[in-house]
Amino acid sequence: MSVRPIPMPQASSPLHAPPSVRRLLDLDWILLITTILLVGYGLVMGYSNTMEDRTFTGDVGQQLLRGILYAVIGFSVMAIVALVDHSWLGTFAPAIYIGTLALLTVVLVIGHSTLGATRWVTIAGFKFQPSEFAKVFMVIVLAKWFADRDVRNPLTLVGGLALLAAPVALVFRQPDLGTSLVFLGMFFGLAFVAGARLWHLAAIASAGVAVLPIVWSSLKAYQQARLTVFLDPYADPQGAGWNIIQSLIAVGSGALTGKGLTAGTQSPLGYLPIAESDFVFAGLAEDLGFVGAAILFVLFVVLLLSMLRVAYRSRDAFGANLAGGLAAMLAFQIVVNVGMAVSLMPVTGIPLPFISQGGSSLISICFALGALQAISMRPEQKAIS
Amino acid sequence: MQDARAFVHPRRLAAIALAIVGVFVVLGVRLWDLQVVNGAHYRELAEQNRVVRVPITADRGIVYDRSGVVLARNQPGFAVSVIPVDLPRANENEVASRLAPLVERGSDEIVKAIAQQRERNPYEPVTVSSKPLPRETALLLVERAELYPGVRVTADSVRQYTSGPLYAPILGYTGPINEEELAERQGGSYLLQDVIGKTGIEWQYEKYLRGTLGWREIERDASLRELRTLALVPPRPGNDLVLTIDDKLQRLLNAELEKGVTEDRFTQAVGIAMDPQNGEILAMVSIPAYDNNAFIQGVTNTQMKAWISDNRHPLVNKAIGEIYPPGSTFKMVTGLSALSSGAATRNTVVNVSSNVLVVDGWRFYDWRVHGSLDFLNGFAHSSDIYFYTLGGGNPYTGQRGAGPDAIAKYGRMLGFGAPTGIDLPGEAGGIMPDPLWKFAKFDEPWTLGNTYHESIGQGFVAVTPLQLLNAYASVANGGTVYKPHLLKEVTYDGKTVVTPAPQVARKLEMRQEDLRLIREGARRVVTIGHAYMPNAKLPIAGKTGTAEFGESSGVDSAGRQRLGFHNWFVSFVPKEDNADPTARIAMVIFTFDSSRSLCDVCFNPAVAMTQHILEQYYGVADKK
Repeated sequence: MSVRPIPMPQASSPLHAPPSVRRLLDLDWILLITTILLVGYGLVMGYSNTMEDRTFTGDVGQQLLRGILYAVIGFSVMAIVALVDHSWLGTFAPAIYIGTLALLTVVLVIGHSTLGATRWVTIAGFKFQPSEFAKVFMVIVLAKWFADRDVRNPLTLVGGLALLAAPVALVFRQPDLGTSLVFLGMFFGLAFVAGARLWHLAAIASAGVAVLPIVWSSLKAYQQARLTVFLDPYADPQGAGWNIIQSLIAVGSGALTGKGLTAGTQSPLGYLPIAESDFVFAGLAEDLGFVGAAILFVLFVVLLLSMLRVAYRSRDAFGANLAGGLAAMLAFQIVVNVGMAVSLMPVTGIPLPFISQGGSSLISICFALGALQAISMRPEQKAIS
Repeated sequence: MQDARAFVHPRRLAAIALAIVGVFVVLGVRLWDLQVVNGAHYRELAEQNRVVRVPITADRGIVYDRSGVVLARNQPGFAVSVIPVDLPRANENEVASRLAPLVERGSDEIVKAIAQQRERNPYEPVTVSSKPLPRETALLLVERAELYPGVRVTADSVRQYTSGPLYAPILGYTGPINEEELAERQGGSYLLQDVIGKTGIEWQYEKYLRGTLGWREIERDASLRELRTLALVPPRPGNDLVLTIDDKLQRLLNAELEKGVTEDRFTQAVGIAMDPQNGEILAMVSIPAYDNNAFIQGVTNTQMKAWISDNRHPLVNKAIGEIYPPGSTFKMVTGLSALSSGAATRNTVVNVSSNVLVVDGWRFYDWRVHGSLDFLNGFAHSSDIYFYTLGGGNPYTGQRGAGPDAIAKYGRMLGFGAPTGIDLPGEAGGIMPDPLWKFAKFDEPWTLGNTYHESIGQGFVAVTPLQLLNAYASVANGGTVYKPHLLKEVTYDGKTVVTPAPQVARKLEMRQEDLRLIREGARRVVTIGHAYMPNAKLPIAGKTGTAEFGESSGVDSAGRQRLGFHNWFVSFVPKEDNADPTARIAMVIFTFDSSRSLCDVCFNPAVAMTQHILEQYYGVADKK
């Protein structure tokens, strides 16, 4: 009698399924290359924006170095997360959840205020925006929640919403309307991928519409104005519509091939508000024109479809949910940000993944993509013969 | 196998993929429309998008004395400012080093100012010249504009105080607005480089003096040259102020007091004159003072340190900001308290048969043996024992005194122990003590000795010169305590905009005959020669005072001997030589560290100065 190997538990420890060169073959190369290209694109745009920004007082080279440093940290995080079996993320989901709530609470207590909102904490000299990480962490928490339960049971959905309520409330308090919306968009995408019944989702959505007036009245006046003004920015061209009109001018004046890197005129003259973050796409479209924007779109589409492919190939429900949820989240952010710059969406202040400056955003996305590579490297076990 | 992978929903993933592609197609179409179809239109808009709005500062209002003498004005000149967004960072050091010799500042200072403005609001100009520049410099900058990107030359004016230290205690000065002041005034009417009143009248009437900012919208081409003015909202200059001050009297008073300091008859001095019938301040001198023009050009650290460490407090307006024991001038309060509370009448007689009153082994001195005194003579001769008795009574003769509570009550009625409410910042309240005050402050009971000391203006009681003057003024006008004020009217373009009415703080709840008795007594102080005025031309009435406090050894910051011996003379001039409440002028002079004298009379320098000033002011002085 030959000794048959004991089937290993699927959620094995790295000790049972150590990283090996063989696994590298299962890396999602398309996903990785797209990621590298997008990070590089972000660095170039960061440099261009800094050069154009005449309000910037620091050293341009140092600013570029900082961007490179964030990218290096991001890729390191990605590599580490990819090496660990993604099941561990699921195992630690409760701890991740508690940590997320703690982080968001810390911001409210000791955070810095900019433009009326408290979103940053400084750790060892680095400005750190916990809500960026909270978005990724909540995908992990909810992916695990749905993976372990019957998604077709409405109680599972309600439970998921309940889990999400606390971080949404904390982020809303900062106040950060945009991130709150990303949480909700991510929830629907994730529940959809996990297989929730469509009419359940529709019911939740209608309930949301029903409480909309209450939420609306709790918004600050500037938030209300930003949300509606995109419908007709010329109604208040000097006030709430100003940002959108200037953004449209920036995008439009880029024309087919753009004005060239560092040659944009809208952001340096101060017509483009928060050019390095919220309206970063307008600056890109101004500098590089339709061609540059189209290249960006292609990269985004390839990235998102690769993520969905990882979901499809995942060996377990948690991995599939995680990959699908992250894809939904990134897609939501990209569409809202770009939609804002071209006046198809309300102004909500969501950063554009990879392109907007900010270490927290980039590193949290790298963390997420690392998890996707981990899923990719551990596909469905080939039949053991 | 199919069952094992039930967790993957390929159709849903496909749906999401389709949605993503669909949305990006929509975005792409929108972009195509904006950039390719309408690109030319938007490019035109971007070209036009080069309008800047620059503020035009308004001239600050001018300050006049009551007869139109200019006390504070604006000196025209040119200012150089930099708009940080228009100055490429790469050229910053180069431009700064070119500007430095022209504006006479270090190029590192200029770079710093620009860097700070970049952080605050780079679309607003920051002034880099610290004083008005001559026309030639301005022309040089304008003609070679290509060498100075982002640099603007504007007409600017700078505050100028015509008489420096003479009016510094009243006018105060202006200075660059600081972050706190700016934060308090959120609302857009102040700019970062703005000037704001820091103290004195400049602070008090900032709202009148400051005008309204104007704005100019300028269209510029791609190289930021100004093409044309699109819109102009002219600034509105500030209102002018006419003060109640009479420059002639101010100068007379100042000259007399300065002379006294030069001749070393005293080291510091305060003089205030007011119209008792309405509370208008006619003159207010505080010596030593400071030159407020220095603050406009930017005070050096050494100068500021010297002023702050000077123990004569040149930055404080001593007429309102410091408190001193009033000495014998306070006998008016003791007297009115005794008369009003029924403890004394004009016929109350005290026999001062010794120059010392001994109570419980404590000795209370008078400056001489007066003999038998009634109220009028007790006041005129300034007998200490007479007023000990009126204030605290005499336990041996059983004579009743007003008592500390009555003195405090009538003292407060006369305005002691609280600011008078003059329209200047930094007014002290003084101390009007009573038994409760002492108990709260020292946890000790009030003693008869406290009453005695208070009765002659020593001990705890402390007043500002203005409070003392205002109290005498209220007696001189027949019982109305006015709020002293410096603002006569606010004008714009020569037309009166605001005329503040005299404000009555309160009426004295005292009998007219008692007030008349004090006026009679005050006149008698002069007529009997207690306050010696040889060859007097005016029916001046008044009260002398001597106060001993403070250091009596060593020297002050000017190297003058400290004597701890100070003199008062507070006076008023009725229209005719009678006791009617008709005085149109009241004056107080306080001399600090006066040359030591043995009695209240002998060398009180304030008396002769008062006579001299008033006679010259009314043009009745002897020609010399």
